[in-house]
Amino acid sequence: MNDTQARKPRRLSSTAIFIFFCLVPALIPVLLFTYYPIFKGIVMAFQNYSLFNLNDIRFIGFDNFRTVLQDPSLPTILKNTASWVFISLILQFGIGFLLALLLYKKFPGRGVYQGLIFYSWAMSGFLIGIIWRWMFNGQIGVINDLLLKWGLISERIGFLSDPKWAMISVITANVWYGVAFFAIMLMAAMQSIPEELFEAADMDGAGWFKKLFHVIVPYILPTIITTSALRVIWIFNFPDIIYAMTNGGPANSTHILSTFMLDKIVFNGDYGLASAIGVIAIILLLLYTMFYLFATRASKAGDF
Amino acid sequence: MKNKVVSRLGTGSKVIVLGVWLLFMIFPLYWMIITSLKPKNEIFKFPLEYFPKHLSFENYANIFKISKFHVYIGNSLLVSLLSALIVLVVAILSSYVLARFTFRGNKQVMTGFFLTQMIPMFIGFGPLYSMMSSMGLLNKQGALVLIYSVLLIPFCTLMLKGFFQRIPASLEEAAMIDGCSRLSALFRIILPVMKPGISATFIFAFVQNWNELFLSIMFIDREEAKTIPVAMNSFITKFDIDWGSMSAATVLSIIPTVILFALCQRLIVQGLTDGAVKG
Amino acid sequence: MKKKLFAAALLSVTAFSSITACSSGSTKDSSAGDSKSETVTLRMIESLTSPARTEVIKQMLTKFEEANPGIKVELISPPLESADNKIAQMLSSKADLDVMEVRDSTVKQFVTNNWVADLSADTANWADYKTLNNSAKLTANYIDNKPYYIPYGLYEKILFYRTDWFKEKGLEAPKTWEDLYQAAKKITDPSKNRYGYSFRGGKGADSYIVDMIRDYNGANTNPDDAMFLKNGSTIFSTPEAKQALENHLNIYKEGAPKDSLSWGFSEMVEGFQSGITGMLIQDPDVIDVVKQKMGEGTWSTAAIPAGSSGLTHFKVGAAGWGITSYSKHQAEAWKLVSFLSSPDQNKFFTQKTGLIPVHTTAAEDEYYKTGYYKPYMDMSADTAHYIPVKPETDYKGFGEWRNVIQQDTQLVILGKLSVDDALKKWDAYWLNEKKQGK
Repeated sequence: MNDTQARKPRRLSSTAIFIFFCLVPALIPVLLFTYYPIFKGIVMAFQNYSLFNLNDIRFIGFDNFRTVLQDPSLPTILKNTASWVFISLILQFGIGFLLALLLYKKFPGRGVYQGLIFYSWAMSGFLIGIIWRWMFNGQIGVINDLLLKWGLISERIGFLSDPKWAMISVITANVWYGVAFFAIMLMAAMQSIPEELFEAADMDGAGWFKKLFHVIVPYILPTIITTSALRVIWIFNFPDIIYAMTNGGPANSTHILSTFMLDKIVFNGDYGLASAIGVIAIILLLLYTMFYLFATRASKAGDF
Repeated sequence: MKNKVVSRLGTGSKVIVLGVWLLFMIFPLYWMIITSLKPKNEIFKFPLEYFPKHLSFENYANIFKISKFHVYIGNSLLVSLLSALIVLVVAILSSYVLARFTFRGNKQVMTGFFLTQMIPMFIGFGPLYSMMSSMGLLNKQGALVLIYSVLLIPFCTLMLKGFFQRIPASLEEAAMIDGCSRLSALFRIILPVMKPGISATFIFAFVQNWNELFLSIMFIDREEAKTIPVAMNSFITKFDIDWGSMSAATVLSIIPTVILFALCQRLIVQGLTDGAVKG
Repeated sequence: MKKKLFAAALLSVTAFSSITACSSGSTKDSSAGDSKSETVTLRMIESLTSPARTEVIKQMLTKFEEANPGIKVELISPPLESADNKIAQMLSSKADLDVMEVRDSTVKQFVTNNWVADLSADTANWADYKTLNNSAKLTANYIDNKPYYIPYGLYEKILFYRTDWFKEKGLEAPKTWEDLYQAAKKITDPSKNRYGYSFRGGKGADSYIVDMIRDYNGANTNPDDAMFLKNGSTIFSTPEAKQALENHLNIYKEGAPKDSLSWGFSEMVEGFQSGITGMLIQDPDVIDVVKQKMGEGTWSTAAIPAGSSGLTHFKVGAAGWGITSYSKHQAEAWKLVSFLSSPDQNKFFTQKTGLIPVHTTAAEDEYYKTGYYKPYMDMSADTAHYIPVKPETDYKGFGEWRNVIQQDTQLVILGKLSVDDALKKWDAYWLNEKKQGK
């Protein structure tokens, strides 16, 4: 933003018009088709709004929030949400970054390789969920079959029915899906690192480690910050894989806030409760983002 | 040379890492392909067959027979491409302005866009449905294009803004001194440099649309207007999942994205490294 | 120059969005408009969809359109998982819809929200109404004693078992839940990947637990309000309930795959038909599926086991067709519903989908008298031991309950909740439901 401060006041009016017309096509539809329905959705959090009886919609203050906060499974759900989000993120980012580095340099077959490891990105969360559910199946699943065949296990593992394994299994599927996002975004960012920076680093006699942390990382830091901030939010609000694989079970061991919300709609038809959970999710994410932006702003990198 | 950064990691360990990851990534695809080529009665046969002896294309024939899969492919392509293009145009304009100018409201717009990413959209879908219904937009593919585009505008704007910021403003300022208008400087000078970012954003938008399930189910009733994810979802029945059809459909459904990715990949690899920035 | 270019860009953006907003609809609307004068188009939505079933319904609709040249039917078939949500959404915004699938689990909701039409006037003049069997009439009139839908088929659970495995171990089809546990234990042999019972621990586990608890409570269970005993307390408040739940847990621990803790409908059926489990309790529509995969001779069906008192409580589930309260074509819609519900069409539909037919005339059919459907005839003939109960689907908390009991039972199995605490919780849940009223 610094470079724009040099703009002269006399150009302001035509610039203002330019700004206005460039923003309108984005702003109006978003306000109309995103903010308006969301606003109406949030209002439901304060209402008795159940599909079982729509004749009885009335404002009930914070009752829905009270119900959610008093739910005995909430602590487990919050804990699960945290592990789901952060373990997934760390693995997705770590592996994605490593792949971006490894694929940065051209080598024969790189294009094919990328095609083969990035295709997961082209699938829907739900589809990924049911495919992994099938592969992880404790009886007929191919993963158990392979492990047995190779002699790594002697008895089939209930990947989705054993609480010890369930979270690991859903995270595995999520990592399988999400690495491509980071790898692609980070690669795209790395491609745009000017050659001069490397040449300068070479002249300083910098090793790869130094180049990594003094050239690559600083240069792509905005992308890292933006993508990881957004990714946390998405993983947080991404019930698809879990919903398809375990539906939150067994015994809540993979239940996260967003599947909890979905449950309230699917089983209870209670949009009021679901919406209250949604609002709680928004508040948590806002707190997270504020903290995250504060922390990263300190390093002068992020610029939203 | 910057390439040394990577090469020093050691070719050997690099091959191992890439190889292991490849196996992990490719196995589900392999399994889907194998399953799709097994005759229906062999899919659940024990012991599981990893290299089926007789291949059958019965499942592929079947999905075109029991459903209008070719129609769904066309619909998905139309909706996803159109919406991704619209988003791209809208988001390029908005992100450019947001990246280049300080003005009152800039921060608020960014925050507003960022907020949409935090909101579980599920809570807005009910009201959105009523709204679309009262506007008479249900059951129209155009409505899907519209909603898909709108839902992606905030993210694509945020994404592209990051790419714009990495390009020095001096670039278009030089062009403007040469007599270019701001808009033509944007389209002629900056966008070519932005190819990697734009391609990545475009693929992202396309993939999101290509896979979107819930809104497509809600908004579209007609058989002729259904998209691939909806069609695939109907292979899940009360009794079981029709894995023969499902795996064949999965294989077919990822082909367009893989092709698109292959095409855009060249653009991603191009970009600043081509020397465009040096000019 | 600058402005022109900009205007062009802006124009293209707005034009793009406006064109796409209405392009695809136009062709459709015009064709509908032309024929509107003479043809009525009914819009019909199904919820328990599968490609095979949709095909059967389409065949029936074709026959209907041939018989009624002035009426066209547009069938909407959303994917199973999202169908209920879509239907509720459509109904709540009064979307263009005339006929919809109504089920025992959704009818209460549809009636409360005034979405579904009362068909009393239509059924009064409907000749085929008289031949509806008792269960069909009962389920059709379950809410407010008015027919809100006409069932297209009935669901009632029976036991499927592997005759070959049972013979091998010298076992007979279990008569009681205790027998089932013993049989499951004997059959189970993890080294062969063979287990006794397709246990249901995942989605939909509720009815299995509740059914067993009702049977253990025996004659004390109130068939008219079956979450409660005749003395008014809940079925969960007795020592028998504890026995039942413990038996349920034992079946899991000693006679079922560990993985079945998370099994839902499809896994259970898959488990049975792929030769992993030896027993399965399921609805009649599974008969066809199992027949296709397993062939004849290795399996058979039997009546549902009883509690220690020798009584079996069973629930008749139903699904059928209803008309939206706001349909502009009530008469035509009824024509369609009555056509689909006629004995001929119903016979066609139930045989294709493996359901129990709704007309008494079908009971005389050989198809249902012998073979895999025979347990149904036996169960309905032996009224002293097989007691039909009214489902709890008319309580508001029914949807939530299904989730609560499923999750709690998983917790109990994993040792994170005691049997007593679970029963106490469920007891409190239903006392509260009772207090709140239906």
